[in-house]
Amino acid sequence: MNRRTALRTFLYIAGGTLVLPACFRESGKASIDLTNLSISEDDEHLLAEVTETLIPATDTPGGKELLLHLFVLKMVDDCHTPEEQKQFTKGLSAFSVWSKQELGTGFTIADANSRTELLGKIGESTDEDLKQFFSITKRRTTQGYLNSQYVMTNLVKYELVPGRYNGYAPA
Amino acid sequence: MANLAIDSIKERTFDAIVIGSGASGSWAAKEFTEKGLKTLLLERGRNVEHVKDYPTTNLYPYEFEHRLEMPYEDKQKNPIANRCYNYREDSKHFFVKDDEHPYIQVKDFDWIRGYQVGGKSLLWARQVQRWSDFDFEGPARDGFSVDWPIRYKDIAPWYSYVERFVGVSGNNDGIPELPDGEHLPAFPLNAVEDHFSKSVAKHYKNRHVISARCAHLSKPNPIHIEQGRVQCQNRVLCQRGCPFGGYYSANAVTIPWAQKTGNLTLRPHSVVHSILYDETKGKATGVKVIDANTKEEMEFFAKVIFVNASALNTNLILLNSISNRFPQGLGNDNGLMGKYVAFHNYTATIGAEYDGLLQYRTDGRNPAGGGYIPRFRNVYRQETDFLRGWAAGFGAGRAEIRDTSGVGSALKEGMLNAKLGTWRVHSHMMAETIPKEENFVSLDADQKDAWGIPLLRISIDYDENDRKMRQDYYEQMTEMYEKAGFTNIQTRDDNRRPGNDIHEMGGVRMGHDPKTSLLNKWHQLHACQNVFVTDGACMTSTSTQNPTLTYMAFTARAANYAIDEMKKGNL
Repeated sequence: MNRRTALRTFLYIAGGTLVLPACFRESGKASIDLTNLSISEDDEHLLAEVTETLIPATDTPGGKELLLHLFVLKMVDDCHTPEEQKQFTKGLSAFSVWSKQELGTGFTIADANSRTELLGKIGESTDEDLKQFFSITKRRTTQGYLNSQYVMTNLVKYELVPGRYNGYAPA
Repeated sequence: MANLAIDSIKERTFDAIVIGSGASGSWAAKEFTEKGLKTLLLERGRNVEHVKDYPTTNLYPYEFEHRLEMPYEDKQKNPIANRCYNYREDSKHFFVKDDEHPYIQVKDFDWIRGYQVGGKSLLWARQVQRWSDFDFEGPARDGFSVDWPIRYKDIAPWYSYVERFVGVSGNNDGIPELPDGEHLPAFPLNAVEDHFSKSVAKHYKNRHVISARCAHLSKPNPIHIEQGRVQCQNRVLCQRGCPFGGYYSANAVTIPWAQKTGNLTLRPHSVVHSILYDETKGKATGVKVIDANTKEEMEFFAKVIFVNASALNTNLILLNSISNRFPQGLGNDNGLMGKYVAFHNYTATIGAEYDGLLQYRTDGRNPAGGGYIPRFRNVYRQETDFLRGWAAGFGAGRAEIRDTSGVGSALKEGMLNAKLGTWRVHSHMMAETIPKEENFVSLDADQKDAWGIPLLRISIDYDENDRKMRQDYYEQMTEMYEKAGFTNIQTRDDNRRPGNDIHEMGGVRMGHDPKTSLLNKWHQLHACQNVFVTDGACMTSTSTQNPTLTYMAFTARAANYAIDEMKKGNL
């Protein structure tokens, strides 16, 4: 097992523990240190399910396994303006309420089809915070996915050292 | 005690002192040390050793905490650095942070700096083009600035000398206004860049789209292998420092070469306060240095001093070198030092699409970046209502389009199954600006930095000539694009501040006449001939070429002149 594989396995395991039910962790806080965002363990759990719904596990890993929810939190915490951060956390709460209304049950325990359908309907909502939350989450989730080690080494390979340039390659 | 003092002075005495370890300074150090001169190379920043001090060079994108994006807090703290295209998570450690080294913006000016051994040679765009007499004769013909005291024939052999050593990839295109050089094979144009090149050649006399010439080793020669470098591997991650030495940087090339001679003393963390002048001898005797960390003051001595601190810092050091003989700054008898600063105007871009040649795509990466359009405006005669002209970069590529519109497995599939987009082309303008007395830098009378050195006041702006040229660029490029069959042509004002081009020049200009210039044709201060300036500060005009190759050639020429003069006992 080389270093990268070992690291990946470790992250997968870590990812597994991070989404255990709330009672397994005492603090009730998010699992990573955040400077600006106030995110509870439940929030984190919900966000993990949103990223998993956006990018579900198929024969390749999905959002949860790739820890994309933590990437979203990290990027919002570090790279967004205070206004966007406020909208993100307000929108996350709004999403929690709205999704319960729409689904008749919590988003995290709803079945995959109704979750996917629900995310497709977010455009119909009139709640600006909710929409902004979703737009940031989707942008950062897709970015995190395409720039994840798993995707960059297995699916859309990134070449650190191409060693060539061909301006007339066949399309 | 007396002996100790004498020993101490001896230890601090060299044949030559070079201030600044970037492209030009390290060239001076290379020339001096190679020819046996004990040389002190002073650098205000920390040491950066080739490969060892490139911490990000082999990282994959996912190994960067923010995937190369700069965090919000950093953008708030360092708006100037963050406006530089090259300031990112992989290169930020090579840039000066705004609050570390303040300056006074009388007018908006982005002063982009790299305070470390190697300077900005780790960060440059690596584009290298020779000047021709159409450039050197510009001020005299068009009646601005002063006449350059040199012509192409003076510098041509030094261009060759530098090109052979650093390695320049490019074609010899046979264009009088962009002289041929000592080139390694060019990185070729791609299908659409070629198409544009042929279209322009067909429709216009004297307009050319050529392979951009760049300081990369497309095919190293024995001299480059001897430097410990190998062929460029097309990573195009140059701003991280290149472990292959695939492009020229002072760190990879000239500094290690100078070190190998055993004649170099490299002293990082050395902030030069001023140059010491001895009135009885009528020349400079050394430099006053403040240790960047301890703030200890010390003096070093030499027969010859080269000032290569980067254009504006060279101005600062000379203006701060006050003596009874030179109350306005060393060599500044005419009061023109710090004035006639100019730069390159990069404020325009133009993009378009092309739906032909869809049988081709590009594979791998092109370190040259694509094509180069040498200046064709006002070359042979004045033909527009503005002075001088512009060069342009030109590139084409096909994006991989990933559909991110869906949710769930549709989104996943959309992202993983990229579709090849149509060809997109892009160009950016690189225009000459006219040096003017009202574009100047000066020292603030009160405010000082952490080392007790006056803050630099910068007052530089665009003018009407720059705006007219931008309009001309849009018009001419649009016409050239249309003739090539490009569609959806979009011009875009790039409202960057002066300085963001990172081609600031002048303030200590060369000229024939001590009344109207600061430096003679050998880059010596007219009034203090053992002090030489061969970085951007010496520029009498800017023309359109990326300037670094010219600074390196100027430096090699001036250093060898200084060596000869020292041998003759004239310095």
